[in-house]
Amino acid sequence: MNASSVDPTFRQRVAKHARRLRHEPDLLIGLVLSSFVLLVVLFPGLFAGHSPLAVNVDRAMEAPSATHLFGTDDVGRDVLARVVYGARITLSICASALVLAAVIGGALGLLSGFVGGRIDMLFGRLIDVVLSFPPIIFGVMVTGILGPKTTNLIFALTVVYVPLFFRIARSGAMAEAGMIYVEAARSMGLSQGRILLRHVARNVLPVILVQCMVLFPLVLQIQSALGFLGLGVQPPTPDWGAILQQGKDYILLAPWMSAFPGLAILITALALMLVGRGLQRRMDRR
Amino acid sequence: MGVYIAKRLAASAVTALLTSIVVFLLVRSVPGDVVGQMLGQTSDPVAAKALREFFGLDQPVWRQYANWLGRVLAGDFGTSWTRGQPVMGMVGSALGVTIQLAAATLVLATAIGVPLGILAAIYEGRAPDRIVQAFNLLGLAAPVFWIGLMLLVGMSSSFDWSPPLMYVPLHESVSENLSIIALPVLSLALLQAAAYSQFVRQSIVSALGQDYVRTAVAKGLSTRTVFFRHLLRNIGIPLVTFMGLILIQILGGAVIIESLFALPGLGRLLLSSIETRDYPVLQAGLLVVVVIAMLVNLVVDLSYRIIDPRVRLS
Repeated sequence: MNASSVDPTFRQRVAKHARRLRHEPDLLIGLVLSSFVLLVVLFPGLFAGHSPLAVNVDRAMEAPSATHLFGTDDVGRDVLARVVYGARITLSICASALVLAAVIGGALGLLSGFVGGRIDMLFGRLIDVVLSFPPIIFGVMVTGILGPKTTNLIFALTVVYVPLFFRIARSGAMAEAGMIYVEAARSMGLSQGRILLRHVARNVLPVILVQCMVLFPLVLQIQSALGFLGLGVQPPTPDWGAILQQGKDYILLAPWMSAFPGLAILITALALMLVGRGLQRRMDRR
Repeated sequence: MGVYIAKRLAASAVTALLTSIVVFLLVRSVPGDVVGQMLGQTSDPVAAKALREFFGLDQPVWRQYANWLGRVLAGDFGTSWTRGQPVMGMVGSALGVTIQLAAATLVLATAIGVPLGILAAIYEGRAPDRIVQAFNLLGLAAPVFWIGLMLLVGMSSSFDWSPPLMYVPLHESVSENLSIIALPVLSLALLQAAAYSQFVRQSIVSALGQDYVRTAVAKGLSTRTVFFRHLLRNIGIPLVTFMGLILIQILGGAVIIESLFALPGLGRLLLSSIETRDYPVLQAGLLVVVVIAMLVNLVVDLSYRIIDPRVRLS
């Protein structure tokens, strides 16, 4: 990871990165918030005492209280439990779409940038088609036409973000293709595929990983917007956007139904943004 | 210049054509069509067949596309399958609403974002900068529909005011129109103002470290001259690019905000045409969105040349 001549052990490297955190309060806050969100995703039972699906019509639309910290929704479900259990659903959808987009976009971009020629032209045109839409409109189109199912939602988000990974990987591969080490590898008789996989891809990988973090909050925004429009995860499954969509109709009667899931999106997006930026900054400094 | 514009327009036309093919195929690749929606589950097969023939849905997809494209090139977008009105008129009036929304948002976002960005850059690292940066982060992290909902709650609980439910066009009543679009514009503008101010701050801070600024200051030019004549001109290009990006973003955000505030704009039209599988409206609406996005990009690229004579268009 760093250029020092002595090869430091893993623990020393971690300690070094951690020490630098003291001068980057924003990254630190981002990491703390992200760890908290991760805890909620992994152990929702620790944070919610109620079931996210248990209906209790007698206690519908109760304002936040000691038993229901975030209040209850229109059929008496605990909003806190729905937000807490929703974290796992919402964020796993975003993460799967991101990973898929990074793998597909990254692979196509590497190939396109390294090989060039006709392949580059063909991919470039296809990418232009996706890029010619505002992302949310493309998402609405795909989920709306294919139907509101989780797999379609992941598919739509993936397609929307493939172009961004494609462009980054492509320009990375083009820059690397002109490097002397590639020429050296070629003169040693390595095949194109081997150079691409073992050398070029490895050098472009960190940029793609950082980009994943930078794009995560954006994916979250679009995922929840589609949920809000009723094109994402369908009720009664708790998903942040879907909870907000439900709360919309009761906004003036029970604002807590919408306020808290929105706050959850805000905090998560903020945490991911701070981490993404911190990583990007470290990357640029190198 | 003329050659460049022609080349760009040709490239845009190719992309628009490809896009229309993709949309056409996507729309027709899924089960269910407008006839199923009209007649319901227990439909009479004879009537269904007749209706499909009427809409041309019985023909092979490529022929349907060729027919559609031929008519579009002649300026005819057809008739809505569900409402029976000319598609052109429907898209046109919806576009008017969205354009008003986008223009008002762009103006407001610029008016908030640019001064904030300049302020933050001037006080880099000090309290005003920190406050502006906190605003930027929150503005970028908050979902736009949530801001809209919270504004609704805030307005109704503190002023006992909520916007009218029926949309009124600007030419019918200015005050009613403004009170309807006020909250949608504000919700969209807060997000974009945050993006704007962050961008302006970043551009100025990095420009301040450049040699040309140091030279200008060393020559003894006043801060005002350095700022307006040297610095602003140099960050002009990225600023214009950014405005284009913002405009396209607003177009997307409008879909969400229009459905929340029940504004009869392009976004709502797209959503409803997807729901009812009203293909002619959907295709025309999407085509309009894509063409607008392309034109915005073209205008952005052309304005480079006006701002900065060094730019050679290739």
